[in-house]
Amino acid sequence: MHLIPQSWAHWHILLSVFPSVGLLFVLGFYLTGLVVHNDLMQRSCLVVFAGLGLLAIPTYLSGDFTMAALSNDARISADLMASHFLWGMVGLAAVAITGGAAIVALWRSRGLGRLSPPALHLIVALALLTLALMVVAGELGWQVNHHELRLNATAQQTPQAWSHAHMILNHLPTVGFVFALGFYITGLVSSDVVTQRASLVVFVLCALLGVPTYVTGAASMWALTDPGVVGISKPVINAHRDMALVTVFGLAFTGVTAWIELWRFRHLGRFSRPVLYLILGFAIITFAVMAETGHRGGQINHPEILIATDASTADPKAGATRAIELLINHVIWFVPWQTVHFFGFSLIFGTALVVSLRVLGFWKSVSFAAVHRLLPLGVLGVVMNVFSGMLILLADSSRYLNAPTFAPKIALIVIGAAAVLYFSLSERLWKVSAGEDAPAGAKWVAALVLISWTGVIMGGRLISYI
Amino acid sequence: MEYGNAAIVFVVVFVVLAVLGLAFAGLYWLNKTVDGSAT
Repeated sequence: MHLIPQSWAHWHILLSVFPSVGLLFVLGFYLTGLVVHNDLMQRSCLVVFAGLGLLAIPTYLSGDFTMAALSNDARISADLMASHFLWGMVGLAAVAITGGAAIVALWRSRGLGRLSPPALHLIVALALLTLALMVVAGELGWQVNHHELRLNATAQQTPQAWSHAHMILNHLPTVGFVFALGFYITGLVSSDVVTQRASLVVFVLCALLGVPTYVTGAASMWALTDPGVVGISKPVINAHRDMALVTVFGLAFTGVTAWIELWRFRHLGRFSRPVLYLILGFAIITFAVMAETGHRGGQINHPEILIATDASTADPKAGATRAIELLINHVIWFVPWQTVHFFGFSLIFGTALVVSLRVLGFWKSVSFAAVHRLLPLGVLGVVMNVFSGMLILLADSSRYLNAPTFAPKIALIVIGAAAVLYFSLSERLWKVSAGEDAPAGAKWVAALVLISWTGVIMGGRLISYI
Repeated sequence: MEYGNAAIVFVVVFVVLAVLGLAFAGLYWLNKTVDGSAT
């Protein structure tokens, strides 16, 4: 990996994700800060908004130089590039205005002694508008280079929609993780529990998003190699997916430890400092691995960013993932992990059923806090199933990925697991004691959890039959 | 490579016991850490 990009295109690819995808995560932290009235989080977000506003300048400049460098490339559509430039300009102007408004809000707070609520709300509106513009600019930007998205769908066994989904999804856990890490360190330094909790939640969400990112990545491999696409190299894909496998483990370690500490916080009312530093350690290692994974992924379809030292093996069958694929195809390894997968489902569904039914009004003689203690059983099931599920997927990924119920199953895993986070975050639900009814909002979440995990199991079982 | 039924059953039992054993040991420790709390 070369840490310093060697071309304008590389700079632009790297920088442009921060004012676009990054904005989504900063907005999430900012809205949390507004809802819970946390001054530190609000001010931290305003500083980051200002930073993103400044980042608009190098993003624009690198984009402009890239356009000049690619203007003679016959594969690049001048019309698409012009559309991306126009929307990108408007988006970057909006980022700069949002950043400027953040600086003004921070400056004015020096005289007022507090942040002005109207100014804070104006920044929400500006950030939302910017985000919408960035979605359009980003999509047009991907279209400039990714010719495979316009391939004839009928000639493709695995639809390019997977590649498209992977392109969008892979930025969420990577960029989100960068911002979660930044806010987490801020929370640790300032000993601010709200910032620490919010960052831990984003670590968990990034880990969950790692699942569809990995799965869509596996599908993209088939979409780009069967039949092959000109300019795409299987060894480069293998190098990327080997690192992606390590990233999934890193995300899992960070996400699960973060979830456990969120769960323990509910019962103990405080965080354990050593565990918080352990999570920091996992997060820093994961960040390093993820940066390398992203770099290798970028090389798959961006020959313009390759330099001589990036040369990899020419063997399309090399790599650890390939070795696991061969191993798990033996019945003696496939069947044990499939058995573990079924145990995992039993744990997940059993726990989701008990906790959700209490929220929905069953067993009112038991407090919510009592059933909350059962949640690690379900999370244990999720860990077992993500690991065993990945091994099972590698046994015959092309068949699984092209099954019509596979994509909904993966989407429901993320929805179902993210919804369970609510059980450890809601203050109102935590205070539901024996004999009391849960709030209506919590009941909707409980229903969503049950529906999602029912769908996951049904989607998984149907893979072999439709 | 062909595997006999006995070998398959042995590996299934070994992997399941190892995974569940590790998992429940972790769960036991985790529950101990919150046992002192009011809940």
